[in-house]
Amino acid sequence: MKLKVYADRMSQPSRAALIFCKVNGIDYEEIRVDISKRQHLTPEFAEINPMQQVPAIVDGRFKLFESHAILIYLACAFPGVADHWYPADVFKRSKIHSVLDWHHSNLRRGPASYVRNTTLAPALGLPLNPQSAAEAEKFLSSSLSKIESVWLKDNGPFLLGGNQPSIADLSLACDILQLEVLDEEDRTRLLGPHKKVQQWIENTKNATQPHFDEVHKILMKAKEKHQNQRLKAANNGGRSDMEKPSHSRM
Amino acid sequence: MKLKVYADRMSQPSRAVLIFCKVNRIDYEEIRLDISKGQHLTPEFAEINPMNQLPAIVDGRFKLFESHAILIYLACAFPGVADHWYPADLFKRSKIHSVLDWHHSNLRRGAAVYVMNTTIAHVIGRPSNPQAAAEAEKLLSSSLSKIESIWLKGNGRFLLGGNQPSIADLSLVCELMQLEVLDEKDRMRLLGPHKKVQQWIENTRNAMQPHFDEVHKVLMKVKEKLQNQRLKEANKAGRSDMKKQLISRI
Repeated sequence: MKLKVYADRMSQPSRAALIFCKVNGIDYEEIRVDISKRQHLTPEFAEINPMQQVPAIVDGRFKLFESHAILIYLACAFPGVADHWYPADVFKRSKIHSVLDWHHSNLRRGPASYVRNTTLAPALGLPLNPQSAAEAEKFLSSSLSKIESVWLKDNGPFLLGGNQPSIADLSLACDILQLEVLDEEDRTRLLGPHKKVQQWIENTKNATQPHFDEVHKILMKAKEKHQNQRLKAANNGGRSDMEKPSHSRM
Repeated sequence: MKLKVYADRMSQPSRAVLIFCKVNRIDYEEIRLDISKGQHLTPEFAEINPMNQLPAIVDGRFKLFESHAILIYLACAFPGVADHWYPADLFKRSKIHSVLDWHHSNLRRGAAVYVMNTTIAHVIGRPSNPQAAAEAEKLLSSSLSKIESIWLKGNGRFLLGGNQPSIADLSLVCELMQLEVLDEKDRMRLLGPHKKVQQWIENTRNAMQPHFDEVHKVLMKVKEKLQNQRLKEANKAGRSDMKKQLISRI
């Protein structure tokens, strides 16, 4: 019975799990759960994951959720997964745990929250919350700085001075990719100052192609759609400016 | 060279690490850093942990931070740690990972932010944020419900249906102990509805005595001090109410 991965490719941790499976040749069936259509909130999905979040996996009779737990499980349970993803060495492994843990309370709170509160909110039926967005931006900026000064301190191509990527690189890079849906100006403002981070993201993408780009296609389509909407809105703004003076002359 | 544990006993994850060491007879030296005095922000401590947070450990030349990573490392690196703390079985271990991951974004965020913005901020001279407190309370309540309906679903004495505690029990219960410093009324309102959680907290404490209570002494002293302050303030308010009534009659 094949591994089942319940995922929404708009969800960063879902993408990390999918890319990991593809890169490592893990045979699986992807079951799409569309968050924007509330499919994660159905009673059927609650049977799979009572927390009603994606990603979740079912491997035979074993169910698991939380993407870091999933990545670790897959690295251990499937043969042929190279050691660099989740090293057997307890010291290297512990350092990866500390990145993954740090991620929850830092970087993950940043992009997810910022993007949700500025761009994706309307699609998810949520009100926009500028104050949360402002706080999320602070978190995000400080997290990006910490990645550069701490996790990328050793000048390896990957986190923790690694010469090859680990599940930590995959998880964090997928989160940062969520910023692609932002207004180009905002994205440049947020990521621009962080050259080391930008290089590391490129390294991570390159190490996992073509799967990285393939799994991110949906996100890139959403990016294009939002860009077009912004252009339209900007044009409409221009036209209504032209209309105003004639009204005032009536 | 003995294991060094950098800790502040007012910090929930610090307590989890200390209790784990004591219960498992791991030989260590505790180095106390007082967060309320900013001792975690010194350049000296940044050498130990560049994130400037507690707890952190140094084991020979190996440095590590993030309490979950530390608990896992200690369970693996030290002989004589019983299997139930962090089982070798991949399925059990993965479930523990999912609790620990869930914890970061749910119970920890709810409880820590709530306590900080109602009680601790005032004590350490930081501004408190009532809106953050309100949101944190919602998250805390929903996390407590989820613990009951999901993690304590199996009628075992511990999380995930366990008959013996794991590092997940230790981490989450230390977090909940922080609620002891709240106004009794608030504490009752938050915890009161959750009988299963209250029982599980007792089970966890009992499984780790006398170390659990010993490590929590500092917190209990702070609880007492705050209770006395609240009584004083209530008395003062009572007296000034009486004054107002007298004055209004003059």
